[in-house]
Amino acid sequence: MKKIGIPRAISYYNNYPFYFGFFNKLGIEIILSDKTTTKTINDGCKYVVSDTCLPIKVYVGHLCNLLDKGCDTIFVPSIQSTGFKINNCSKIRGLPEIIRNIINKPFKMIEPTLDKTEGIGFYDFWYSVANDFEIYDKKLIKSAINEGWKIYNDFHNMTLKGVSYNKALKAALKRKPIEHNDDIIKPLSVVIMGHGYNLFDERISLNIIKKLEKMDVKVFTSLNVTPKEALESIKELGEVQYWANELELTGTSAYYMLKGEIDGIIALSAFGCGPDSLMVDEIAHHCKKAEVPLIHLTIDEQTGEAGFITRLEAFVDMLLRKKRNILTKKPIKIKEYIQNKNIDNIKKEKILAS
Amino acid sequence: MDSTEKLEKTKMENTIPTKDRVIAWPRMGRIDIPLKALLVSLGAKVIIPPPNSNKALEIGVRNSIEGICLPYKLNLANYIMSLEKGANTLMMFQAPGSCRLGNYTKMAQKTLKSMGYNFDMVIFDMYKSKMKQTLQAFWHVTHCINPWKYYKGFSLGFNKFFAIDTAERLLFYTRPRELNKGDAEKCYEKWLKITDETNSVWEAKKLKKQIINDFKKIPIDKNKNVPIIYLIGEFFVLLDPYTNQNIEKELGEMGVEVQRQIMFGDWLEHVLKPSIFYHKESHRERSVRYAEKYMKRAIGGECIETIGDTVFAAKHGVDGVIHISPFSCMPEIVAQNILPKVSKEEDIPVLSLVLDEQTGKAGYITRIEAFIDLVKRKKIKKINN
Ligand code: SF4
Ligand code: SF4
Repeated sequence: MKKIGIPRAISYYNNYPFYFGFFNKLGIEIILSDKTTTKTINDGCKYVVSDTCLPIKVYVGHLCNLLDKGCDTIFVPSIQSTGFKINNCSKIRGLPEIIRNIINKPFKMIEPTLDKTEGIGFYDFWYSVANDFEIYDKKLIKSAINEGWKIYNDFHNMTLKGVSYNKALKAALKRKPIEHNDDIIKPLSVVIMGHGYNLFDERISLNIIKKLEKMDVKVFTSLNVTPKEALESIKELGEVQYWANELELTGTSAYYMLKGEIDGIIALSAFGCGPDSLMVDEIAHHCKKAEVPLIHLTIDEQTGEAGFITRLEAFVDMLLRKKRNILTKKPIKIKEYIQNKNIDNIKKEKILAS
Repeated sequence: MDSTEKLEKTKMENTIPTKDRVIAWPRMGRIDIPLKALLVSLGAKVIIPPPNSNKALEIGVRNSIEGICLPYKLNLANYIMSLEKGANTLMMFQAPGSCRLGNYTKMAQKTLKSMGYNFDMVIFDMYKSKMKQTLQAFWHVTHCINPWKYYKGFSLGFNKFFAIDTAERLLFYTRPRELNKGDAEKCYEKWLKITDETNSVWEAKKLKKQIINDFKKIPIDKNKNVPIIYLIGEFFVLLDPYTNQNIEKELGEMGVEVQRQIMFGDWLEHVLKPSIFYHKESHRERSVRYAEKYMKRAIGGECIETIGDTVFAAKHGVDGVIHISPFSCMPEIVAQNILPKVSKEEDIPVLSLVLDEQTGKAGYITRIEAFIDLVKRKKIKKINN
């Protein structure tokens, strides 16, 4: 049976449901690398220069893990641009180039390119993958793409309704979509702006989502927003999308900021990350105007859990204090609001009645 | 509206009357000399920001976010210093590759406006635009319609570019070989000044020859064993002597001939001349060809040039390669990851230097010296074999 190794890093986090559907339909068995551990990071660090950002180090670590497992065909896509002149970060664009030149072991790299600026589209991308496995039947490839979309959409529809990343992924892969039912109202809500590969990798993110939930904070992420909503929110702020992976950051936080439903924004990015520093700055600019607090947490391989928690707690404390202040200082306003609403309702009822 | 369309629209602001325009642009090598000649010929007033310095860096750092790359910080400082001196029209260049630069404009514009400056920003895409867009940009800032003036301006500009390129190349060649230390540098400075002051096309056309003749007069040791080092890496740091701590001079004084692959004039000629007049292989094309074994695709910035040039160097008897890039530069980090293998397989020594605000001169020079020692030893070994 044909096999393909997929490193549990970078594009894995946003696209795995699609990959799963696609490869399964083509009868290609997927071998996943193990979850990120400190060893993964250390392995990755051995191969790349130290200025490389953490997610790429992690990626390399996962690749090593796959090689250790005896996997000899590995999926290393180059996602150059996702729209005309909407480019990705160079390191994601050059993932195969990095891997080719640092890993000295024999294995076959499946390295399709997605580059809409140059006219290499989504279908070209997947056809090239299939062709690498000597599959040329267009009909079959198309149905595999559809299968990919189906699982991806299942997954995303669940997360849009609030199902957590892990639960939604599990359910989507089992093809048994679940409903979300534990919607508890929490005193605070925040949005985390960060790339999927940072946020949903529990080792990289130091489990930030669970930590916040334990502090009784409701967390929103890019998974709760559709790409369309994210893009429109960026436009509404008067900005333009520049980076391919911008929707996860600016798009998501813009969406919630405009909705006015959140108490704060947490930006989580890798130390030395070029695109993120620009995107966070852009949002910070709007946060100031909208008076939404923002904290920017950067992580690298040395980030200690203790300091991380301290900063997180301090931020949450601050948000709580702020919220309490607003609630105690402006009680009348809230009452008015409620009253007005009631009056409106009463009026409406009357009109309806008369 | 499509987002790219919107970008195009914001590229040329037009709030200041043409006659009041005072134009400034960021420092990038010696682009100031030819560009000034061109714009002044078209009847514009220009302001040249002072060379980059600690003060400029401080201004840049103070007004930008931490994570952004060094070139942006210095560009921003150039703008601020020009605005302070009375500039009101800022030209922004977009260099090759598509990296953070595109975002720079937006950010610089926002930052400067929030600092209370009034100005028009005119974006000048040096990479993708061809002659037509270029003329448009110049028309936009000068409203000059006299074709003779364009002819004069462009001839002046081009000839000055070539003169500077020639002077630079000769400086690189002569400096390590000169018998009296400082001769080459003096000659170079002299010709820069003359080039800057030349105001007629006829004179400008003669510059190149005169420069060559003048450099020939410098007494040199022709038989000296001089290793050749390629200087490659990110565009801005290559061209800015402040950021790269005058690495060309340091190397020259260590008895090394520097060759820089990004020469401004060459590159400009390629960009501006319509392709039917340009038959040479461009730097990018050559890089793609040479880098093929290591890279199958360009990934933004000058990464592929870095790799291609290193292979090219190895294949053409160059003794070593020094790769410089600003801290956190994404394309060059990819290059740094690829270079060790290229160095090994092509058998050419490579030194990667990362520059940031805190780069200490002492440590930097020590690393270069150690590297040059290695290169020299390798060269002697090669000769003896
Ligand atoms: S976007 Fe940032 S974190 Fe992601 S690969 Fe690029 S530099 Fe690294
Ligand atoms: S090439 Fe490097 S220095 Fe230039 S914009 Fe990109 S990251 Fe910054």
